[in-house]
Amino acid sequence: MAPPVQSQRLPPPSQPSGKGEVGELKTQLRQLAGSRAPGAEDLKRELYKKVISYMTIGIDVSSLFSEMVMCSATSDIVLKKMCYLYVGNYAKVHPDLALLTINFLQKDCQDEDPMIRGLALRSLCSLRVKNLVEYLVGPLRTGLQDSNSYVRTVAAIGALKLYHISPSTCIDSDFPVALKALMMHDPDAKVVASCLSSLQEILTLEGSASEEASKERELLLSKPVIYFLLNRIREFSEWAQCLVLDLVSKYVPSESSEIFDIMNLLEDRLQHANSAVVLATINVFLHLTISMADVHQQVYERIKAPLLTLVGSGSSEQSYAVLSHLHLLVMRAPILFSSDYKHFYCRYSDPSYVKKLKLEMLTAVANESNTYEIVTELSEYAANVDVLIARESIRAVGKIALQQYDVNAIVDRLLQFLEMEKDYVTAETLVLVKDLLRKYPQWSQDCIAVVGNVSSKNVEEPKAKAALVWMLGEYSQDMLDAPYILESLIDSWDEEDSAEVRLHLLTAVTKCFFKRPPETQKALGAALAAGLADAHQDVHDRALFYYRLLQHDVSVAERVINPPKQAVSVFADTQSSEVKDRIFDEFNSLSVIYQEPSYMFIDKEHRGPFEFSEDIGALASGASPDNSVLPSQRVEASDNDLLLSASEKEDNRGTATNGSLSYSAPDYNGSSTALVSHSPSSTVNTAAVSGAPPTASISQPIIEIDDLLGLGPVMTTTPTPALKLNSKTVLDPATFQRKWGQLPIALTQDYSLTAQGVASLTSPQVLLRHMQGHLIQCIASGGQPPNFKFFFFAQNSEAPSGAGFFLVECLVNTSSSKAHVKVKADEARLSQDFAVLFQSALEKFGVS
Amino acid sequence: MISQFFVLSQRGDNIVFRDYRGEVPKGSAEIFFRKVKFWKGDDGEEAPPIFNVDGVNYLHVKVAGLLFVATTRVNVSPALVLELLQRIARVIKDYLGILNEDSLRKNFVLVYELLDEVIDFGYPQTTSTEVLKSFIFNEPIVVDAGRLPSLGPASLFMLSPLGFEIIQQGSKRMPGTAVTKSVVANEAGGRKREEVFVDIIEKISVTFSSSGYILTSEIDGTIQMKSYLTGNPEIRLALNEDLSIGRSGHSSYDYSSSAGAGMVVLDDCNFHESVRLDNFDLDRTLTLVPPDGEFPVMNYRMTQEFKPPFRVNSLIEEAGAFKAEVMLKVRADFSNTITANTVALHMPLPKYTTRVSFELEPGATGQTTDFKEGNKMLEWGLRKIVGGAEHTLRAKLTFSQDTNMNITKESGPVSMTFTIPMYSASRLQVRYLQIVKKSRTYNPYRWVRYVTHANSYVIRI
Repeated sequence: MAPPVQSQRLPPPSQPSGKGEVGELKTQLRQLAGSRAPGAEDLKRELYKKVISYMTIGIDVSSLFSEMVMCSATSDIVLKKMCYLYVGNYAKVHPDLALLTINFLQKDCQDEDPMIRGLALRSLCSLRVKNLVEYLVGPLRTGLQDSNSYVRTVAAIGALKLYHISPSTCIDSDFPVALKALMMHDPDAKVVASCLSSLQEILTLEGSASEEASKERELLLSKPVIYFLLNRIREFSEWAQCLVLDLVSKYVPSESSEIFDIMNLLEDRLQHANSAVVLATINVFLHLTISMADVHQQVYERIKAPLLTLVGSGSSEQSYAVLSHLHLLVMRAPILFSSDYKHFYCRYSDPSYVKKLKLEMLTAVANESNTYEIVTELSEYAANVDVLIARESIRAVGKIALQQYDVNAIVDRLLQFLEMEKDYVTAETLVLVKDLLRKYPQWSQDCIAVVGNVSSKNVEEPKAKAALVWMLGEYSQDMLDAPYILESLIDSWDEEDSAEVRLHLLTAVTKCFFKRPPETQKALGAALAAGLADAHQDVHDRALFYYRLLQHDVSVAERVINPPKQAVSVFADTQSSEVKDRIFDEFNSLSVIYQEPSYMFIDKEHRGPFEFSEDIGALASGASPDNSVLPSQRVEASDNDLLLSASEKEDNRGTATNGSLSYSAPDYNGSSTALVSHSPSSTVNTAAVSGAPPTASISQPIIEIDDLLGLGPVMTTTPTPALKLNSKTVLDPATFQRKWGQLPIALTQDYSLTAQGVASLTSPQVLLRHMQGHLIQCIASGGQPPNFKFFFFAQNSEAPSGAGFFLVECLVNTSSSKAHVKVKADEARLSQDFAVLFQSALEKFGVS
Repeated sequence: MISQFFVLSQRGDNIVFRDYRGEVPKGSAEIFFRKVKFWKGDDGEEAPPIFNVDGVNYLHVKVAGLLFVATTRVNVSPALVLELLQRIARVIKDYLGILNEDSLRKNFVLVYELLDEVIDFGYPQTTSTEVLKSFIFNEPIVVDAGRLPSLGPASLFMLSPLGFEIIQQGSKRMPGTAVTKSVVANEAGGRKREEVFVDIIEKISVTFSSSGYILTSEIDGTIQMKSYLTGNPEIRLALNEDLSIGRSGHSSYDYSSSAGAGMVVLDDCNFHESVRLDNFDLDRTLTLVPPDGEFPVMNYRMTQEFKPPFRVNSLIEEAGAFKAEVMLKVRADFSNTITANTVALHMPLPKYTTRVSFELEPGATGQTTDFKEGNKMLEWGLRKIVGGAEHTLRAKLTFSQDTNMNITKESGPVSMTFTIPMYSASRLQVRYLQIVKKSRTYNPYRWVRYVTHANSYVIRI
């Protein structure tokens, strides 16, 4: 599809060679300016067309400005429109000349033909020249009261244009008030929609500076406005429906009967052929039911079929947009989609960006009942001619293997991949086999036998090579040739470009040395010498560290470099659940496509209206000192700082998590690049043994299941005895802080507060006392309306003193009536039960 | 809301360019085109329809070889923008009759006129061809179709103006230009022909296992309408009486619940804004006042088992050192009154294949064979296949190395593309199309056409 490369720089055929043509046009336009001769209009049209076509391809024809304006005194509407287009395009760069146009535009604004009035008003507002705004106010005001709805629509958007040229003029002329009045009373739905879009944008931009505007903005979300718009939903065009639905998704109903009324009213919008309407409707449904677990789940079931139909019906681009949203839902609640897996099989005609999404979805929905079929299907793709998809498919098989308990068949498949002898297949498979062995050491015999047959010469990719080297070091006692293969790799040390591979070589050969000293001694010497001379800092440091350690005491060295290993239980997700929740909050937006929250790709000034999550984000990042309720910022920074880059964050997370889970058995993994370069300020030992690369950190299985679902207690997989909280628990701040720093986040959730609760929350103390009544203690709190922050704790009544604590960070935003809650727990398996208690306590706030 | 809209040719030239909000720096079209063209270097990976460069989001759709692009700085609904782009393309097509680079270049002033009304300051206003009519003053300059549209005249059914039954094919032929005429242009003589077209277009996806067993199958269908009727008369469109929708309580892939033979069971469907479903539950009738121009009345999806139109047997065997043989056999499993056209089969061969010699069956006409060195692809094209017919291709392969492994693993799967006019894989039908008459003499032409395309027709070996 891509056009040939060489043609790219050739000018398009219609492009004029120089300024000559523009000059000629100028002369011709001049001659025609005053002409009343028959046929002059036709000639003008031709010339105008030429000018516009030059403008389109990017040739500067602004020098014709005065001639174009001179010729514009015409009754020919086609000419007028071309002239408007031209003027709109160049007025900004020629503000002085733009003044020339004001006269005829203002005159046209009073034309008896409403269409001319509308067109002229639209062009007048599109000039984007600051010192001309005085000429806009009058026509705009008249336009908003015009008898014709077309003119009123144009004027409504015109007011927004004025705001962008000069906010103060727009506000001082009371246009927001006029727009609001028009929105609530105009009989024409198009006018209503235009008022709504203008108002939203103006109030959002203005809201950051003015209290009044921000109140007005909130009022758009009030019940009368929302119901007024909802009751007319069918009168709106499909695009305006999307606008209204978007607004409704931010509305917080005061009682649950409202939720069902709204959903019943919008039910038929799910059958719309326009995917934008359907997704906007789904967004409303998802947000309304977020705190009603069972209804929320019903919504998932209800929207499945319409989404799948949309995926199949539009162009591949449209289907990509819909599929991305389906992908998000599948990732949140894979269990609900586990019987739909066949819909996610790749089609021959799917573009690669669609196939990638489908592979991820297949990976997520795999469970005991469908794994065999999914893996069989994926294995077909592994032999695919499309290398990219083949690679992704192999990775998917590997991921499924890591999720499942019954991996027998999958391991066989992976080993078969190695026998295919395609270099990229081998490379991908080696990486997977390595991860698999770290989780299921019991498979080592089978795997090693096959991996032993892979010739290191056929493995080029650094990741694969590193994996192979790691296995050689780890299983050197079982692989006869291990020392010799390592030796030959060390011999070609200088040709090895990848520092990662060289680091692994150092570790592998050292481990091999502990097991088979006589055979490896020479190679170890060579590796240490090469490493010490290495230009790469990490490689050099690791070599030096090993060298000194070995010199100090070989048995200590062995304890550090090759301790007994703990099997990795679950590999951490690459994306934290907070980030996922934020993306979910931004359903039906580009965030879902990029799989990133909007703050990562949208400049602040362009963020949409009503983004509560942004406020919470600022609070959580601890950027403002007002919010630092704990003495130490460092604790927070470890997992709250959203400004950290993803990798940094994962590193922190990994460290904290590992530390808490493997106190007794320090877990060293060979692929750690952080081994020596870790922060010197913390104690070297801990850092060295727990530093894990992002992909290898550990977290609790329960987090994965419950948190992704976000569905609350209904989906709890392991039935646990009802949790009772200790009524006389104590925890001093220092211990709280230590625990908070050590424990991983067990779950993150958003809860809604009742309207009464929000109303009574004037200071943190109110909620604090309420929660105390439910045996949840507060250790620190802070903030002012609308944002509050609390740290709570509670203790399992059956736990011995000093254990069984639940720690909670709770961010409350009263304007959205939402609480964002993070729970950490000594016993992570109970955190879901605790969350239920916490939620019910929170829901009673203000009610009793 | 969007910031800019533009249409680029395949070479990256601006054909139309409209900046609505002036907040995206100049040169965005170039940045976009470069990014799309050089996406991920030589990986061959296609650029996704949506990406972000320096805080500017670019969303695009490809229509008729042209790139329709919108830029924005805000976190818009991607579905909305892509729908809008697609809809703009359709409105332009309604006006120009044919949408291609040539027609767009000739009519760019008209397109600007449209864009002015479709979007204001980045907010979509209206995309209704009908509403737009009163704002458009340029006359479209109609370009030559070049060739007949894919449906072709042979694919036509015509509904009798009097009765509801379908008249046999060929009794009345539709002029080939009818589908490509503008909704606004008058025909020679100044009179417009009163007619309405209804197309049932189905895209089928089937995957066969190596033993011929159907692994997955799905139909994505659309009932598309294009109306040239003046005065917006109401239309009633009747579908199969026993049509059933949704499979409550079952996974949509649960084949066991096959409800009564002959019954068409759709998994799900959606409808155009203008469709009223008052009688749909009762007698499967859709009522609508069709707006001008082309639009989908209904989209539907079906995973109920259906008879695949083609059966393909494929075989690859070693035939001595450095040699192998391929046999492909395709059989058309439909009535001999129907003819499939533009049939093509593709089969990836082992990467060490250097030469292929083909052997067609004796007397074969309209068939082409090719071996694409670059991606080692065997291609077999058949201009047409009559229902019931069977065709075979044999090919001898020469390898550059000895094959010490399983060559079936190194080749395939076979994939097939085709178009079958007058064929509906789902057996969904338009029973009748009734136009509420304004007068006794009002008898507009009504055309109903069926066509089935292969979306993904894959045979594993």
